[in-house]
Amino acid sequence: MNANFVLRAHARGFNRFLSTGESSSYIGGHPDATLTRHSSFNFGPYQSGLRGFGRLRVFGDETFSGTGCGYNIHPHHNFIICAFVLKGQLTHVNTVGNIDQLTEGDYYAFSAGSGGKHCELNLRHEDANILYVWMLPDQLLLPPSYGRAHFDAIAGRNRLVPLVGNADGAIRVSQDVRISRLSADRALGLDYQPGAAEHGVYVFVVGGEARVNEETLQARDSAGIWGAAPVRIQTDAQGSDLLIIETAP
Amino acid sequence: MDEAFKRWLCLGCGFLYDEALGAPEHGLAPGTRWADIPDDWRCPDCGTPKRLFEMVELPYAVGQPVPRTSAGGSAP
Repeated sequence: MNANFVLRAHARGFNRFLSTGESSSYIGGHPDATLTRHSSFNFGPYQSGLRGFGRLRVFGDETFSGTGCGYNIHPHHNFIICAFVLKGQLTHVNTVGNIDQLTEGDYYAFSAGSGGKHCELNLRHEDANILYVWMLPDQLLLPPSYGRAHFDAIAGRNRLVPLVGNADGAIRVSQDVRISRLSADRALGLDYQPGAAEHGVYVFVVGGEARVNEETLQARDSAGIWGAAPVRIQTDAQGSDLLIIETAP
Repeated sequence: MDEAFKRWLCLGCGFLYDEALGAPEHGLAPGTRWADIPDDWRCPDCGTPKRLFEMVELPYAVGQPVPRTSAGGSAP
C-alpha cells in the first residue's frame, strides 16, 4: 500500500450490478437500473488489484443509471466516506440526520464512526457519476458526522483547491488526508509539495490529459507516488481536471 | 506473556471486531482470538468474508468502547 504505481483506466476493477435478482436488496432503482463501479483498489467482488493507498481503502468511480438507482440504506462503522459528484444528481440520506441533494461540483464527507447508515440514490432519469473515496479514521468509533461543500469550477479554475482536510474552506475529517481538485482550462505546471516526507500522493485524472512526474495520464488514469519530492503536475493545453489525494502512510 | 488483543476492521463496511470484546451478540465471547473464528465467518453487518478484514492498530475515540450492557436487563 506504500509503493508507487500507475493505474490505467481500463486496468481498474469493474463491476456491474443490477437492481433485480441477487443484488436487489443492495441496489435500488427501477428494474432496468444498473450501477457500474470502476475500482482503483480492491473492494467487494474486485480483489485482484491494489489493496489501497496510505489511509485510502476505496476509490470507486461509479455511475448510477436509471431512475432510483443507487444503494439502499445500509450500515457502516468507522470509515470516512467521501462522495464527489461529477455529473447528474445524487440524493444522500444518512442517520446523522441529513437528506441532501448534490449536483455537479458538490461533495460530502460522511464519517460513520460508532455507527451510521446511508442511502445513495439517483432520482433522475439522467446518469449520475460519482467518485466515492473511503479512508480509515484516525480513531475507532468516533461520533458520526457529516459535512457537505461545493467545488466551484469557475472560481477554482487553474489553481489547487482543497476540498477535504485541514485547510481553509475544506471539510475537516479525523484523518491525516487532504483531498484537492485541480481543474485547469490551459497548460499549467504545478509542483505539489506533500506536507510531510512520509506522505503519499494519489492523482486521479477526472478529465483531460496530464503529465504527472514522468507519466502521461489520460482520463480516469491515476498514479500513486511516495516520497518527499514535490509531485510535478503538468496540465494539458486542452485542459485537465484532477483529484489529488495526499495521505499519511 | 499473552499476546495483546487485536482489532480487525471489515473492509466492506467498517464493522469492528475487537478480540478483547468479542461479539457476544453474534456468538463470539470476549477474548475470542481472530484466529479462532471459523474461516467461513462473515461480517454480521454486510456479509463480507473474514479474509477481507484488515487488522488495524488504531486507538478508540474518547468514551469508546462503551461498556456493553449485561445480558438480561429485562425479563424475556
